[in-house]
This record gives sequence, structure tokens and C-alpha cells, in this order.
Amino acid sequence: MTADFVALLATWCIATLRSATPLIFATLGETLTQRVGVINLGIEGEMLTGACVGFTVGVATGNPWLGLLAGALAGGALSLLHAGLVLGAGANQIGSGLAVWMIALGGTSFFGRALVGKQVTPLADLGSPLTDGIPFIGTVMAQATMAVPLAILATCFAAWWLAQTRPGLKWKAVGESARIAGENGIRATRVRVTAIVVGGLLAGFGGAVLSVDYTQTWAQEMTKGRGLVAVGLVIVARWKPALVLPVCLLFGLAEVSVLRIQSAGYAFSPHLLGTFPYLVVLVVLVSSHVFARRASAMPADLKAVFA
Amino acid sequence: MGEVLARFDAVTMQFGDLVAVDKASLEIRSGEVLAVLGENGAGKSTLMKLLYGVFPPTDGTIVVEGCPDGISGPAEALRQGIGMVFQHFSQLPALSVRDNLLLAWPKTPFWKSRRNRATGDVLSKLRDMAPAIDPDTPVHDLSVGEQQIVELVKVLNIQARIVILDEPTSVLTPAETDRLHGFICQLAADGVAVVLITHKLRDVEACADRIAVMRRGAIVDVSYRGERSMQEIVTLMMGKTVDRKLPSPQPATNPVDRLVLQYVSAQAAGMRLRDISLAVGRGEVVGVAGVAGNGQTLLAEVVAGIQPVTYGEVLLDGERIGRRRPGETLSTPLGYIPEQPRENATVEQLSLADNLALRDLAEGNRTDGSTSDLLCRFNVNPPVPDKRAGTLSGGNLQKLVSARELGTPRPAILACYPTMGLDLAAIELVYEHMFAQAAAGAAVLWISEDLDDLLAAAHRIAVIREGAIVALETNDGTLTRDRIGALMAGMASVSEAA
Repeated sequence: MTADFVALLATWCIATLRSATPLIFATLGETLTQRVGVINLGIEGEMLTGACVGFTVGVATGNPWLGLLAGALAGGALSLLHAGLVLGAGANQIGSGLAVWMIALGGTSFFGRALVGKQVTPLADLGSPLTDGIPFIGTVMAQATMAVPLAILATCFAAWWLAQTRPGLKWKAVGESARIAGENGIRATRVRVTAIVVGGLLAGFGGAVLSVDYTQTWAQEMTKGRGLVAVGLVIVARWKPALVLPVCLLFGLAEVSVLRIQSAGYAFSPHLLGTFPYLVVLVVLVSSHVFARRASAMPADLKAVFA
Repeated sequence: MGEVLARFDAVTMQFGDLVAVDKASLEIRSGEVLAVLGENGAGKSTLMKLLYGVFPPTDGTIVVEGCPDGISGPAEALRQGIGMVFQHFSQLPALSVRDNLLLAWPKTPFWKSRRNRATGDVLSKLRDMAPAIDPDTPVHDLSVGEQQIVELVKVLNIQARIVILDEPTSVLTPAETDRLHGFICQLAADGVAVVLITHKLRDVEACADRIAVMRRGAIVDVSYRGERSMQEIVTLMMGKTVDRKLPSPQPATNPVDRLVLQYVSAQAAGMRLRDISLAVGRGEVVGVAGVAGNGQTLLAEVVAGIQPVTYGEVLLDGERIGRRRPGETLSTPLGYIPEQPRENATVEQLSLADNLALRDLAEGNRTDGSTSDLLCRFNVNPPVPDKRAGTLSGGNLQKLVSARELGTPRPAILACYPTMGLDLAAIELVYEHMFAQAAAGAAVLWISEDLDDLLAAAHRIAVIREGAIVALETNDGTLTRDRIGALMAGMASVSEAA
């Protein structure tokens, strides 16, 4: 009985982690971008491009790590377009983000046709003779890949970076007010470009993790709005990298339970069921606003986007 | 005499048509307190922002000792040991005191953990000056005086050779001001060049070694301490006394209270009003004087029904016109000229005609064809009804708002710095219409920082300080500028005049 329960817990845990991993990278990237006062709706496109390019390179080289690297670089390159439009040409951030998304949507649909049905070499799992016999840990390790610990490390690193380092402090300052940061001798535009590109790299990496590691296939529009979900989860995580992990895991857990309920054969509309993860996030968002009533955690310069 | 650390050579700065600094030449020397004195808008801050590299001058050169290529921006200025304390603090309210200090400190190590010894050093000056400030408090929880101390510590931490202070005493209490004066003298004694931008003679008397007087963008005089009497300096600062003829309205013969504030209290970001009671009679002009930032804006917005009152009532002819809760739909019957009319009183994307009709739209009236006439009467240039309001200059925009608010008969007028940014002819025009409203029976509440104008035309003058009316004096000809100034600064007791 206990053994069954531990096994069940382990499968749910690892399913949640794996489902949340691409989202963690994307949400972390968007969090960092928004912390410098820039909103990037193009993150959906950057994920999609990362997934497409990552899968292509993964298939071509047979090396999933090269695929992930290429996906990250593709996302970073696309985010440079957003940076150029917003910071160079002074374009509206919402408009520019949507443009980047649409470009990526069209581009990946076109170039992705050749990828349908292809096989990619997946990342190796973390299972080893050392852990195999151990309850819970054995099951988790056997199904986890390096992408999972990487995602967790990335959030920890980002949280440490913002809270404890000098460049991180500069990022926060630029997000609060580019003007005041400038008066303090910080080159705000340079910081913003850096953060946008870092966000793009992370989103692209997340996309590549999705296609190369999680689904191991390519499908048109396969991100299914995960990038936009990431934009929403940034608000739920109150712009704090440390909260990105639990928030994304919660969303992942809700997604996994939807899949499990469906496969268990309950007669329930799959469309309605599909809204469940968003409902959970909405409840968390509302309750976090009620409980943390004092001063919003939103970087002050983000408000300028809507002015 | 200390060595010359920086030199302005025929520096000019233009913003569009406005010449903010006009061929200014000046030297800044080490170990000396240089006071840059002038009225609001004389170009003092702009001149020093040029030195700090906030923008490049339109013409002329600024030579900084040890930096032949000039200052490219604030980052370069900080590296060259030039620090500036802005009038509007350059602090990030959401971050802690510690983070704000670390941000401005060039030696902040990569790893800024609080256990790091180097990180502790950044707080040592703060501990010396204000041990009561907890470095982990977010800056928005500090008082204005405390914020200024943090701002000063920031500049001291960079081992500045030149420290520029922009109106540092305008927000301080008298005790804090004295402490600052002592501190400025100490800095100069340590060999730092201190530039003190101010419009207060008290600052100059307390610590200036050399005094540069600015008027309308030009440096009109530079003298050493003791070379000129304060009287001479004031004359230089004001220019030759403008003999402005104000069409002072006849005092009302039968003063019936129209606009009445009863025990009004209100609160808004960073400011509160405390228990304000004031009555403006039919045909009466009541001026409100005060140092900027003592609650004038909030007072105006409460009377205009923009900010809700937390206690008390605002009444016009016995009817409540104050706002009780934020969401209420309320249109004020007052003629209201707010400060900064570009942001607060116009829609830049709409035409002049639509802007003039804004209030009629809200009240559901049909607009009539008096637009062109109104534009001409108030001398709005160009008087083209179809032109977008955003294309007007600041002065013309102010005239446009005056036309809307003063162009039709109103029961009461609320004017907030109504002549700011206007030339002399336009100032007279606005006053003429404002007092014509009073003559027609309107109650006029007039917030101004021009004491001479208030003394020339207001029937009574209320002094606001720290959100409360501290004095209400009848302007019977014996009231002086000094007396009002002392009340504004909190240096005179109210009973003294009696």
C-alpha cells in the first residue's frame, strides 16, 4: 500500500517537473526581461523558434545538446529583433512583441513542415545503477533528464543574481526607473538589451527543451500559448525569480492532473478540463493580490509601457 | 584661492525656442562654496546639469580639470568625481537604502552580500550622519529629509571633488537646514568644491564663499562673500523692479462667504492636508502662499473635487462640491487652472476648439461658435481652432486653459500658479480676467509662489505649511514680503504681527 503510494507520488512528481521545465525557462526569461522594465510578448515566438531550430539541429546532428544550444541562440537572436524595434526604433512594446510572435509563427510553420514525423535523439535520463533500486528517487531519476535540474539551477542562479550581485542591482534599478538609473551612472539601454537577449536565450532554450526533450517531436504551433502563459505567470510570481519555480510547478501539476483525469476515462469535456490549469493560476493570482495588498511588486518602469 | 576644477566658457543651452542658459561663463574652485542664486526658472539647475553631463550644451565649452575630452554623461561625471544631488532625488523608492547607496558607488563589489566587508563600508558615512536610518528600509518609507541625507551620502561615497546641491534646503525643516549648512562648510574645508544652487538668501548667508547670480539664463554677477550687501544681491536676482500694474479688484462691500472649506483633511501620495478651514467671500481674492511641496497641489485638487476629502467639507454657496470617494462622478462648477496644464488640463491630441469645449462635453451642453473669439480674447497664438493642442508652446497652452476656465462667468475661481511660464503681457491678461471674475462676484482662491503679485492684488493671504494653514493675514498694506516669507519658512510665530 505504502509502496504503491510512493510509486504514484513519484510518477506525478516527475510528470509535473517534466511538464513544467520548458515553462520554467520561458517564465524565468520573461521575468528577467520585465525586471528591466520591458515587456516581451514575442516570447511565444522565441519559444516556437527555439523549438523548431532546436529540433532541426538535434535531428541533423544527432546530438540533443547541440539542439538545445541552437534553440537558445535562435530565441536570443529573435529577441534582438524585439530589442532593436523597442529600444532602437522606439516601437511600442506590445506591437513589437506581437510582430516578433507572428514572424516566428509564419517562419516555423513554413520551415517546420519538413520536420513533421522526424525522430530526435532524446537527452539521456539520469537513472543509474546507484539510484535504481531506491523507492521514489529511483523512479524520478529514471524519467528525469538534465533539463530538469538545469531549470531549477537557473531559477536559483537568477534569484541570487538579482538579489546579491552588482549587475543584478543595476537590472532592478533600470526596471524601476531608467531615468534615475541613468542619473546614477548606469547605461540603461545596454542593460535592457542584455536582459532582453538573456530572456530570449532562456525562452529559446525552453522551446528547444519542449521539442527535443519533452515531446520529442515537432508539430506546428506546438508551444500552444506557453509563451503567453509565461507572461501571465510572471505576474503570479510577482516578478521574483525565486517564485517562478513554485508557480510553474503548480501550473505543471494542474496540467498533469488534467492529462491523468482524461486518461482515467472520466466523461468530462476535454475543452472545459483544459481550462483547469488557468483557473488554478487565476485563483493564486487573485489570492496573492488579496494577501499581499501592500505596494505592488511590479517594476515601476513597466507601467510606462501602457502610458 | 583653490585651484580651478571646472570652467564654463560662454555656455548656451536651448530647448527648442527657450534659451535656458545664455552664454554663461563661470569657474568652480576647490575648497570653496559657490552659491548659484536666482529665481525659479533662471537656469541654475540647467547650468549645473550641463556640468554633470545630463545633456550636452548647445554652444560653448565646459572644461573639467583632468578630463580634456569633456563629460559625456553622468557616468563619466561620477568617474571624474562630480556628484550631483538633484532637487528631485535620484533614488529608487522601491529599493532599500543599502541598495540605493550601492547603486551609486563605483566600488561596489560584484558580490554585494551584506556580510561582505566592502559592502559595509558604503554605510559608514550614513552611520556617521544619521544613525537612526535602517539601511534595509525601502526608500519610500523614509521622510523627505531622510531621503536627502541618503542622497548626500551617495555623493560623499564617491569621494567627489565637485559636489552640486540643487535646492537642497527647499524640503528641509529649519533644524535640518542648519545641520546641512554646517555640513556644506565642512565639505569645503576638506577641499571639495561645493556648488549650492538656491533661491534662498539664508543659504547664501550661511555658507557661500562666492555668489553667482543668474537671471533669465544669464549670469549677471559673480562676487565674493562680503563684496555686496544682501540688498544688492536681491536687486540683481530680481532684475530691475518690474513695475507691474495689477488691476487690483475692489474689496467686496458685502462679503458673503461663497467658497468655504470646513475642517478639510485629505491624504495623497507623500502629502496630507490637516484641518484646513478657509472661507472666500463673494468678490474676494484670497491668495495662498507657501514653499513648494507643502500641500498646495493637494489643496487645489481637493477643492476641485479631484482628490477625496477624508474629513470635512468643501462647500460652494452651501452646496457640497468636494469628493467623498475616489470613484464618484463629479464635475466641478469652479473655474480651475491647475498647475502643469499640459498634463492636467488639456488633451494634447484634440484641437483647440475641442479643448475649449471639454467642460461643455462633460456637462452635456452644446458648444457654441465663440471659439475663435475666445482664442483671440486670450491671445492664444496661433488662434486656429483646428490646431492640435499638443503643438502649442507652454505659455500658449496656459492661455488656452485660462480661456476655458476664465472665459465664461464662474461662481468661483481656483487658480494654481496661473502665470507660470507666461510673459509679462500674458500675465497681465490672465490677472485681468481673473480679477474681472472677482469683480463679477466670484470667489477667487489663488495659489501662487509670486509673493509680490499676491501682496499687490490679494485681499487676504493664507500661508500653507506642511499641509496646514498656519496663518491668514489681511492684506491691508502693512503686510510685507518678509513677514509672509518668515511664515512660509516657519520662522515667525503667528501672533508676532498682532
